[in-house]
Amino acid sequence: MSKTYFDETHCAIGHPKSTFMQWMLTVDHKRIGLMYAAVMFTFFFIAVATAFLMRLELYAPGAQFIDGDTFNQAFTLHGVIMIFLFIVPGIPAIFGNIVMPLMIGAKDVSFPRLNWFTFWLYILGCIIAVASLWVGNGFADTGWTFYAPYSLNTGTNVIFTLVAAFILGMASILTGLNFLVTIHRLRAPGMTFFKMPLFVWGIYSTAWIQLLATPVVGITLILAILEKYFGIGIFDPAKGGDPVLFEHLFWIYSHPAVYLMILPAFGIMSEIIPVFSRREIFGYRTIALSSASIAGIGYLVWGHHLYTSGMADIAKVVFSFLTFFVAVPTGIKFYDWIATMYKGKIVLSTPMLWALGTIITFAIGGLTGVTIAMVGVDIHLQDTYYTVAHFHYAMLGGVVFLLFAGMHYWFPLVTGKMYNETKAKMAFGLVFVGFNVLWFPMFIAGYLGMPRRYFDYLPEFQIYHQISFWGAVIFIIGLVSMFTVLIQGWRKGKDAGLNPWHATTLEWHMPTSPPPLENHAKVPYVDFRPYEYHHGEPVVKFDLQTMKRID
Amino acid sequence: MAHAYVPEIATDRDGNEHEVQGWQDDLYGAKLGFWLFMFTEVLMFGAMFLSLSYYFTLHHQDFIDASATLNRLLGGTNTVILLFSALTMGLGLLKMKHGDIKGAKLMIWATILLALVFLGIKAVEWTAEYHHGVFLGLPALQPGSDLSKPLGQILFFGMYFTMTGIHGFHIILGIGIMLWLLKRINSGKVSPKHYILHFNIALYWDLVHLIWVFVFPYFYMIGAGDVAGGIVHGH
Amino acid sequence: MDTNTKTYKEEQAGYFKVLIGLLLLTTVTFIQPYYFLDNATFAVQMLIGTVKAWLILMYYMHLKGEKLIITFLYFSMFIVLVFFVIVIGVDVTNFQFEDASYISSPITDVHDHTPVTQH
Repeated sequence: MSKTYFDETHCAIGHPKSTFMQWMLTVDHKRIGLMYAAVMFTFFFIAVATAFLMRLELYAPGAQFIDGDTFNQAFTLHGVIMIFLFIVPGIPAIFGNIVMPLMIGAKDVSFPRLNWFTFWLYILGCIIAVASLWVGNGFADTGWTFYAPYSLNTGTNVIFTLVAAFILGMASILTGLNFLVTIHRLRAPGMTFFKMPLFVWGIYSTAWIQLLATPVVGITLILAILEKYFGIGIFDPAKGGDPVLFEHLFWIYSHPAVYLMILPAFGIMSEIIPVFSRREIFGYRTIALSSASIAGIGYLVWGHHLYTSGMADIAKVVFSFLTFFVAVPTGIKFYDWIATMYKGKIVLSTPMLWALGTIITFAIGGLTGVTIAMVGVDIHLQDTYYTVAHFHYAMLGGVVFLLFAGMHYWFPLVTGKMYNETKAKMAFGLVFVGFNVLWFPMFIAGYLGMPRRYFDYLPEFQIYHQISFWGAVIFIIGLVSMFTVLIQGWRKGKDAGLNPWHATTLEWHMPTSPPPLENHAKVPYVDFRPYEYHHGEPVVKFDLQTMKRID
Repeated sequence: MAHAYVPEIATDRDGNEHEVQGWQDDLYGAKLGFWLFMFTEVLMFGAMFLSLSYYFTLHHQDFIDASATLNRLLGGTNTVILLFSALTMGLGLLKMKHGDIKGAKLMIWATILLALVFLGIKAVEWTAEYHHGVFLGLPALQPGSDLSKPLGQILFFGMYFTMTGIHGFHIILGIGIMLWLLKRINSGKVSPKHYILHFNIALYWDLVHLIWVFVFPYFYMIGAGDVAGGIVHGH
Repeated sequence: MDTNTKTYKEEQAGYFKVLIGLLLLTTVTFIQPYYFLDNATFAVQMLIGTVKAWLILMYYMHLKGEKLIITFLYFSMFIVLVFFVIVIGVDVTNFQFEDASYISSPITDVHDHTPVTQH
């Protein structure tokens, strides 16, 4: 019985004997990715529960069981956990760690001990963020955007959240740095940039954003802390400071951050579509370059979050134009994926269902984003439920759905087992239906004027909140059943074998399932493109012990 | 890592051999990683310079007036000290590369000494400002009191203490890192054959110097000369 | 590591040459506001700073001998920072709400909280 990465590991300090300490000190990218997943999904469910609490409260107008201040803390908690603890580490922390080195034929990332340190930095950030629930005046009530001057004046624990966000930002920067050097240095011989799988392109573009954008919000949070506790004056109008400067600095990071979330997700889509259409991907080079250009142009559009803040009209027009422009590379990707599916032999397994569902939901999310990129329309729709529905369709219906797709796709690789296909498909159905029932009415409510972050509302909006609530119920049942299916699959599922999906990329050419500690038996020489199919079958075949091509 | 690392060889279909770059022994990767990290530091200070420039545009004369009151003698001395410390750090690296470990350690100690002098002078400056009533939390930098400075000056000093403070924090970190480097040299982990750590720490120190190259003129020199109307020059 | 194999003496001479250059520039920094171009002090100071920075980056930080990727990334970062500065500059210079804002017009009396009106 050959050893897998669950049987043995490398550690940062010493050679511990106990399994627990081996997991705590492991520098193996696969184990670190799994630990990120465990922590992140725990926090994901805490944030989902918080959201459900809000939906419950909003079922009817007026106060039911929580008051306005607590409601403010609830949506701040939901936002902070979902964004800083879940979706920003997101796909890079889980699949960037587990799968990316496998895809490029590396034995680990460039700085494995830094990877270990970064994980524990992430944990520290999580602890500090959540600790504020029980300290002093409770969790911050400013919204996850911490706008000055309210964040500077409120008595709730803003400082905990600011410090936590700074630490989590450092973890994000270090992950991005690690991945950048890994992709530049550790690709298998022969693998040029344009022979890399598209998921690696996604992680690469994301790593640039993690590196370049996060420091700006890091220093903004520090300046906010200094403003709050030392009164330096930078965001305080009474001292000549400008609160809108905080908004500018904050969104200079937070807008590229959303591209940081979606680019790895698009990378997963680009992996799944060719495999389950049994065809080479259409437009490999354009998809690769569009990832890079989304990362680049995404830096230039942050002002569309500030249309109603008092910016000059010229600036608003510039940002609006650039925002329209950034939608173009995304559209190119969508067309390329659909072209890949055309005349392919579509296999409707669960990963493909999730990917196809995302094409629908992200298309809605992206297009509604273009709507509010229009300055005139945004004046009406800013800070309404329309915006909320837009970004949930994009982040939840885009990033998280593709994360789930990736979980189903790489499940046999990571665990060596297979889940129950029928139950997984049913879970998908529940989540997809629940998601749309939950979020679609919000477009209408927002258009009719329902503001976001409001604890109470006029009776004419009640019907939308009620429909959303029942959508939330179906959605959460679907989520729980999806995770149950996956956990049961890991515990009791059938052995999956080595390459159950007949994929072509390097991570599937492992000598054992799950993979061994040091990944490939020998690093292969890569002289082939990543998605070569011929009549529905992969072209490239390897002898898995010597990693020489035998096709 | 006890055993020496031997790189793997990958063979292509024509039988040619290609050496595989592993994560161990990757000199260029270590340099690239550290340059990327310094990039993030530059962006952090860059965002602060951005905010500073924004307020300089809005409160032009106030900034100049406030700058005129800073002590250019002390600030200038610090500039020269930091300049020489960058030299000693570079010479230390040079000596390490060419096998003179004792000389390298001497140079690192010289850098630490110069850094401590820098911090000392900074402390003198800040204390002097505190005694003049100009410090975070004191009435001169709060609005609404009799001692309040004009708004632009409040912002100037707020950013002054912030940026020189964060810069000083990086100097303290640098001293700590250099002490750790000395420990690694003494234990043989850093040697003329494996000096990438020394190289990266020298880069870090050069970055700290680089930040000061812009911080100094921005805060101290814009109010120099006769631009400030009727304000007392220096001390 | 270095693309050119210099001797110890040559490298050391290089460090000292750059030191002299930096000291000279620092001297110019000190005397400029009192002797020349004092109506453009800020621009001149930043220019001198940039030249010093270039010297430090190229020679003390050995960027001159490095492969393209490192220089490329600093160049691209510089471009992005310039964009930030330009856009915020455009925003600031076209500020539309001067009538109601403290920020653009200095308040003569800090106790007075009514907005200063401009024409």
